[in-house]
Amino acid sequence: MIGPGAAWLISFRVGGAEAALPLGVVREVVARPPVVRVPGSHSFVSGVALHGGVALPVYDLLQFSPFWSGPRPVAEGGMAAPGEHLIVCDWGEARLALLGDRVDLLEQAGAGPAGEAGPERGCAVSHEFVSDVVRRDDGSVVLLDPDRLFASLGVPAAGPPGAMEGAGEDDPAGR
Amino acid sequence: MKLLMVSVGKARYAVQADAVRQILDPAQETDLHLEESQAVFRGERIPLIDLHAAAGERRGLSPLYLLLEGARRRAIVPVDGTEAIREVPATDIAPLPPFIFPRPGRAFRGVFSDGHAPRLLLDQDGIL
Repeated sequence: MIGPGAAWLISFRVGGAEAALPLGVVREVVARPPVVRVPGSHSFVSGVALHGGVALPVYDLLQFSPFWSGPRPVAEGGMAAPGEHLIVCDWGEARLALLGDRVDLLEQAGAGPAGEAGPERGCAVSHEFVSDVVRRDDGSVVLLDPDRLFASLGVPAAGPPGAMEGAGEDDPAGR
Repeated sequence: MKLLMVSVGKARYAVQADAVRQILDPAQETDLHLEESQAVFRGERIPLIDLHAAAGERRGLSPLYLLLEGARRRAIVPVDGTEAIREVPATDIAPLPPFIFPRPGRAFRGVFSDGHAPRLLLDQDGIL
């Protein structure tokens, strides 16, 4: 049961950071399907996956330099760890996915004003994208500001809710 | 629509079969010469579309060249191999969200499921 002033978040690990998004923007979490690279797309777009017949853009925050306040984290083996899951988000008319690992549901109790807590010292995620820090038994989780994050990724601003199917390029099938 | 499946490096693409005027074997074509960004085929200078470079790969010696004809002009696309021709309903091709590209323009018409993995469909009118 959720307490007063609390909110549910979806937490996930990206690089060496524990991050979270408000549950309200997360449509679902799925195992990473085959993703095809799209030449000419942003370097932080890992590619597109087919998800329910829709081309779902998959973003790899490890490749998005402004997201990190210092050198981008790498996994123990020295290589950037690929996300095993897709955190599928609805953002206005657009649908997109972030790569992440260790996805979990997290309760944010008594959230403070945005930016009040700020990221912890040593947190690798840039202040710009953090709206709060949530304590958890095994450490802290940075709550991402979806407005700033998605705008920086080039995702159109969220407008009135609606289906995203019409948000793509001209539909080859004339849908 | 009828699609020709091709491979370029590690990537797999499709192109509308009716846009392919010829499949050229450079070993057999004495009147085909490659320059930096164009090809000279039977005296005609034709833009070269390098999908290896677009994917960040080094261009090798492609064994086949597709001569494509779009709405406005022609182009030559080096490929590593042709796999099959398949009929794919237009309704199976999902358009790509335009916001994943830093620049406007359209090199791909969309993506469709081709067995295990998605495959990108080139847009000959967008790249030509």
